[in-house]
Amino acid sequence: MGYNDLEKLKKDYLDTPIPNELDFVVRKVFIQERIKMKRKNNIRKTAVSAASIAVLAVGITAGVNINPVFAENLSKVPVVGEIVKVLKFKEFNVDEDGYHAEIEIPKIDGLENIELENSLNEKYLKENNELYNQFMNEIEELKKVGGGHLGVDSGYVIKTDNDEILSIGRYVVNTVGSSSTIFKYDTIDKKNEILITLPSLFKDNSYVEIISDNIKQQMIENNKLDENKTYWVEGIEGSDFGLFEAISETQNFYINEDARLVISFDKYEVAPGYMGVLEFVIPTEILSKILVSDYYIK
Amino acid sequence: MKKKDLERHFEDYVINNKEPIYRLAYRYVRNVEDALDIVQESIYKGISSLESLKDINVIKTWFYRIVVNTSLDFIRKRNRETVIDGEYLFENELIDTDNYANIDLERALEKLPYSYRTIIILRYFEDLKINEIAEVLDINISTIKTRLYKGLELLKVEMNTEDRRLGNGI
Repeated sequence: MGYNDLEKLKKDYLDTPIPNELDFVVRKVFIQERIKMKRKNNIRKTAVSAASIAVLAVGITAGVNINPVFAENLSKVPVVGEIVKVLKFKEFNVDEDGYHAEIEIPKIDGLENIELENSLNEKYLKENNELYNQFMNEIEELKKVGGGHLGVDSGYVIKTDNDEILSIGRYVVNTVGSSSTIFKYDTIDKKNEILITLPSLFKDNSYVEIISDNIKQQMIENNKLDENKTYWVEGIEGSDFGLFEAISETQNFYINEDARLVISFDKYEVAPGYMGVLEFVIPTEILSKILVSDYYIK
Repeated sequence: MKKKDLERHFEDYVINNKEPIYRLAYRYVRNVEDALDIVQESIYKGISSLESLKDINVIKTWFYRIVVNTSLDFIRKRNRETVIDGEYLFENELIDTDNYANIDLERALEKLPYSYRTIIILRYFEDLKINEIAEVLDINISTIKTRLYKGLELLKVEMNTEDRRLGNGI
């Protein structure tokens, strides 16, 4: 075979069909990245004040005598205004040729702290309205370049719902050829009716390093047990770009039914796409020294 | 360069070069969805490791390296899965069969180990220079040359004059 055959092969290579969605997929990554950066900056500003409020509230409740049996019974009796629950508030559906959207909006109900309830519900509604509008704009854009496939699924899952804690996770799955998933959590102290933030759980910022180190250990251990589980972390073969260094101070988290802290990462945040959304349960033993109290996390 | 400028520069680079980037990924996985997935994942990795890009002039080789590694990761993962899934090989056999003239060479190339195949793709399809390939793969130049000749030998392809000239320099 001669060099000319390679030239022919090169021609085939250069003729690889380019899908209509490519431009869109590429631009979308950058757009999402900008939104993420903006959000991170915003959260940082509000986290400080929320943290101080939460610390204060925990201080007060320490003196209150809580009867868990009574609380358990109470939640089963349908007394209006006493029960905190999550309802499906509104739904958007789009089902056109190649374009598909399903958006479910949660609504928190039954908090006496109306301010908190309203602010959360307004946030959920706003998020989803934006998502819907963005999706409709994207369809228009995609139609201009010759069409394609586009999907968005948004909804919520209740991770924990017991006497003390309500953890609600909202997710958005974008499908453009492949898919990306974003999860966001809110954790509410049902008794004291406050929103729990990650910094508010700890005495100081040392939690960032302690939790990050533990997650790195878990990643490496998981990989040792099952080589299919890969993460972008130092110590795992093949990881050399964008290595996970530390969680952000306002990293996604929730508190699970066992009263343990769970740290969550979006798809692509710390691992290849096939690993999906990741969750790490942090052992309470390593946190006990820095926790403000053992009221939420046990 | 400031972080913001670097981000802007990276975004421009990717948007202007999305097609070669996609082709490279597609070459490994032979599947539109997977290739788009790799492009997406590579960009995410790129954004989060921009600080490792020391010199803006090598953005191409820097990003190709990410794309190649992401593709190989993807294949490693898929191959583990497809050991059971026998159909995958069959599907691959069917690809590009309309082009009989090149089918032998195409097949031979597909059979080369990735370490050889990548070099040939980058050298002959993407027209990268030997030293650029060395940067992409983070392997020294003489190893690249050795693998390139060995690869061509396995493909029974004669070298072009430029590479033959380079070859004398080893």
